[in-house]
Amino acid sequence: MQEALFSTQAASAGRVFALDSQTLIGIAIQLVNAAILAVGLGYMLYNPVKDFMRKRTERIQAQMDEADAALAKANSLIAEYDAKLKSIGDERVKVLEAARLEAAEESKEIIAEAKKEAERIRERSLEAVAAYRRRLEEETRLYIIEAASLMAQQIVAQTIDDEAQTKLIEQALADLEDAQWH
Amino acid sequence: MFFLLLLAAVVRLRLRCFKEIPTGFQNAIEAAVEAFDNFAARTLGERFSYLFPWFFMAFAFILSSSLFSIVGLRAPTADWTTTAALAFATFVFMFFLGIRYRKGSYLRSFFEPHPIFFPMNLLGELAKPVALSFRLFGNVLSGTIILTLYYALTPYFVQLGPPALLHGFFDVLFGGLQTYIFVIISLMYIKIAADSNW
Repeated sequence: MQEALFSTQAASAGRVFALDSQTLIGIAIQLVNAAILAVGLGYMLYNPVKDFMRKRTERIQAQMDEADAALAKANSLIAEYDAKLKSIGDERVKVLEAARLEAAEESKEIIAEAKKEAERIRERSLEAVAAYRRRLEEETRLYIIEAASLMAQQIVAQTIDDEAQTKLIEQALADLEDAQWH
Repeated sequence: MFFLLLLAAVVRLRLRCFKEIPTGFQNAIEAAVEAFDNFAARTLGERFSYLFPWFFMAFAFILSSSLFSIVGLRAPTADWTTTAALAFATFVFMFFLGIRYRKGSYLRSFFEPHPIFFPMNLLGELAKPVALSFRLFGNVLSGTIILTLYYALTPYFVQLGPPALLHGFFDVLFGGLQTYIFVIISLMYIKIAADSNW
């Protein structure tokens, strides 16, 4: 057991280095093997993986370009809408100002119309008052004529004869008709 | 190599199920590929992107070789033929891309600052893949030898536990570091050779 534990492997005797035809043949074989390996690795691993990564990079770049274009478009739209909003604000002010002016104009017209109407009403009222006054004056005049006739009739009946009485009454009536009642 | 090919096949099959937002396995694969791609692009430049799969293979292969040593397998990079093959490929890329992109000026650089320096410049260029291959080979082999010696010379009762520290140091830490060094130096050699502005 102890011998087995402390025993060692035998060092293998081998060819390490020599410059002879075997070395040259070995180099040629290794070169061919290396070429086969290079072609194999290049065809199956290196180039396909590089190609895959290149295509992926191009795809991602295209997507990034697309995203940049979309962002630029969105920014231009935002700018456009901002401008529109600003112009809407300006337009709102203009519309309000126009409405205010229109309202003021309309208000002036309404007031003028109202004044005219009031004037018309006042004139009509004045005309009605004047007509009423004329009517009252006429009625008063007729009443006074009637009253004066009665009074004159009674006075005359007591003091003068029928002929003088008639003459006086006609004279009084003529005077009353000529009189001004204002 | 088989493991890497199997992994690549699995990734290829699961690629159809990959999602927009990666999770789990997809995340790990994407992170690995993206990290390496960024690293290679920063070091070498995008115009050499057709070389990236080769160096991705080198990175994955060297790193997985070191990591498989944890389970007792001998790292392929502990064999000089493997590292020499990878370094030779770097040298070929370096030479041909230098001529392709710099044409005459690359060849003239061997004769600068004076034609008498041509042998030294040529040796300097040839030494690059040699240094590259031996750096990786030496580091991985040293770790392999130390661990082999540990397993061979120590009693069985200390072979359970303490080697984890050694594997963590030689296989994970040194393995990762040497992988990074090999790949970045290879990329720099190619950049120096092919880039006229360097």
